Amino acid sequence: MSSLAQVSQVAGDPAVHPTAPAPETEKRSWTAYLLLLPGVLWLGVFFILPLVQLAAVSLQSRFPGFPGYYYRDLNFENYLSALTDYAPHFARSFLYAGLATFLAFVVAYPLAYAMAFKAGRWRNLMMICVVAPFFTSFILRTFAWSQILADEGPVAAVLNFLHLLPGGHIINTPVAVVAGLTYNFLPFMVLPIYASLERADPRVIEAGGDLYANGFTTFRTVTLPMSMPGVLAGTLLTFIPAAGDFVNMELLGPQRGKMVGNVINDQFLAVPGGYPVAAALSFTLMAAILAMVFLYVRRFGTDELV
Amino acid sequence: MAGFKEARGDLQLESVTKTFGDFTAVDGIDLTVPRGSFFALLGPSGCGKTTTLRMVAGLEQPTAGRVMIGDTDLTGSRPYERPVNTVFQSYALFPHLTIRDNVAFGPKRRKDKDASTRTDDALELVQMTQFAGRKPHQLSGGQQQRVALARALVNHPEVLLLDEPLGALDLKLRREMQVELKRIQTEVGLTFIHVTHDQEEAMTMADTVAVMNKGHIEQLGPPAHLYDLPRTRFVANFLGQANTGVGAIEGTDGEHLVADVFGTKVKISRARSQVHDGEVLFGVRPEKVTVSRQQPQGVGNDVKGVVRDVSFLGVATSYLVDMPSGATWSCYEQNLDVEPIDLRPGDEVWLTWNPGHAFGVPVEEA
Ligand SMILES: Nc1ncnc2c1ncn2[C@@H]1O[C@H](COP(=O)(O)OP(=O)(O)OP(=O)(O)O)[C@@H](O)[C@H]1O
Ligand SMILES: [Mg+2]
Repeated sequence: MSSLAQVSQVAGDPAVHPTAPAPETEKRSWTAYLLLLPGVLWLGVFFILPLVQLAAVSLQSRFPGFPGYYYRDLNFENYLSALTDYAPHFARSFLYAGLATFLAFVVAYPLAYAMAFKAGRWRNLMMICVVAPFFTSFILRTFAWSQILADEGPVAAVLNFLHLLPGGHIINTPVAVVAGLTYNFLPFMVLPIYASLERADPRVIEAGGDLYANGFTTFRTVTLPMSMPGVLAGTLLTFIPAAGDFVNMELLGPQRGKMVGNVINDQFLAVPGGYPVAAALSFTLMAAILAMVFLYVRRFGTDELV
Repeated sequence: MAGFKEARGDLQLESVTKTFGDFTAVDGIDLTVPRGSFFALLGPSGCGKTTTLRMVAGLEQPTAGRVMIGDTDLTGSRPYERPVNTVFQSYALFPHLTIRDNVAFGPKRRKDKDASTRTDDALELVQMTQFAGRKPHQLSGGQQQRVALARALVNHPEVLLLDEPLGALDLKLRREMQVELKRIQTEVGLTFIHVTHDQEEAMTMADTVAVMNKGHIEQLGPPAHLYDLPRTRFVANFLGQANTGVGAIEGTDGEHLVADVFGTKVKISRARSQVHDGEVLFGVRPEKVTVSRQQPQGVGNDVKGVVRDVSFLGVATSYLVDMPSGATWSCYEQNLDVEPIDLRPGDEVWLTWNPGHAFGVPVEEA
């Protein structure tokens, strides 16, 4: 078809339809669109529409004198309030999420490394242990942690006995929150790192040793860089949900000094007329995370994950 | 560099054995490779070539035996402590580094002051300068192989291990690299251990060839010796072609053994036979066999066969001849004569050879 059209173009024959090659490509792209359709519909109805709705809410104003009633508006003061009144909450969210991400990385990397290179026939068992927490609910696991870290619980008891706990408590402190976040998102850190290490050719790591790099240098110059795509994915998968989380703070954290997720939760559910501010907070959080992720990926991204 | 061993001298393997579970991959190899020589390791797939190299490199520790360079015992030392570099069979380039950084990896680790110039030279040598900025996955298999070569060569190690380093190259580039490798080796005087499947490559490049089979070395020596006088059935068949027949030794005739091979009495020089009584596998190389229509007079050592196939090769004509034993022999006739003998399939011919070219090896493979 297309060669015919080309020949006739060269011959300068206007009789042949100029769009002759089109049907074939059109057909192919239709298949692609059809495959996309369920996903696009799903996202459209359950993600884009609510997002637009949320954006609209975030700009609404209250009816004076009628708590709980709003009118459509372009009220950017909601955003101003989100940024000024709740700046400490944002800061805390990012700090705790950042700490949890770092700690999860510190715990997850050796674990993933051992699974990929040292576990041998224990590998599958270790894998099951890593994903096992997913078989119980997130909330339930966090409740369990509140028991573990409680004043009468084993951790506090041991630390108190050793006089290593100045305040006397772990529960209801930021430490407990960070511990909970670290624990809850650990599998999201372990799995991508494990996948990238497992994919690495052991011969390449051997080549490091063959070329005069000792164990540590080989790790620093070969193994770690080769697993960077996994580290990048793992940190994103941990940091993003941790920054927006409110469950860990709710169940393990102190009464004062909440995270932004808790503020949004309260504004939506507990504060009369809090909808617009909650929506504005949500958008601000989303924008901030997007910006951070963008900068982070720009800085550390590799060919495989940009 | 802590622990680095500046060993110099011949590479020596002393009864080196490697077992994986109850499987013996390398079985008590004794080997001395003189410093500065080009040593080829030839053998079928799975015979333990790579495992042997890995033990020299330190990537695998022998189950028993010792690996030495000169007087330095390297057994048990780590790969980075050995003055040995490897060109891996699977290239094993660092995927996250550019070609240039791949090649510069070794010199940088050794804190070489000339790292940069040496890297440039090595890239130049393998004709990869123009790809220096690329990542390995952006190169073809042959290009990656050349980078792997440069990455090892750049370090000028005491022993360079090459695990089929030219396998992915086309014939022309392969010949070029063979010449290049040989040149580098003679110039720098490094010891090269070259693993290859290509007999021709092994025979043209190496000072010494070792034929390996099932974890042990069958025979070792200069290529011409191995070809001329194989000592086992495996070597006779693995290196070049051999016309063979099984016979029983019946007696001696001066310096020769006389064997009965399917009703034909053949002579084998005593010194060229590994067995002196009982069954023998008798063999002679195709180019040593002469074809004629009439029975040659007074030579002995002749067998009558039937031509099965004739192929004209230009410089020579190749014949496949069915022997009374049922075996098919091959032989050549140089196209020298003005009137060639012009054989057709089905013609009866006499094959003859000088007993000095025949060899005898044990019938059973070791
Ligand atoms: N880590 C290992 N565990 C178990 N068996 C192994 C291991 N490494 C090698 N082997 C076995 O040892 C034997 C020799 O392997 P090796 O890689 O040395 O062969 P090779 O001569 O290099 O073959 P090729 O020409 O195919 O590369 C093979 O049978 C192989 O299956
Ligand atoms: Mg091999």
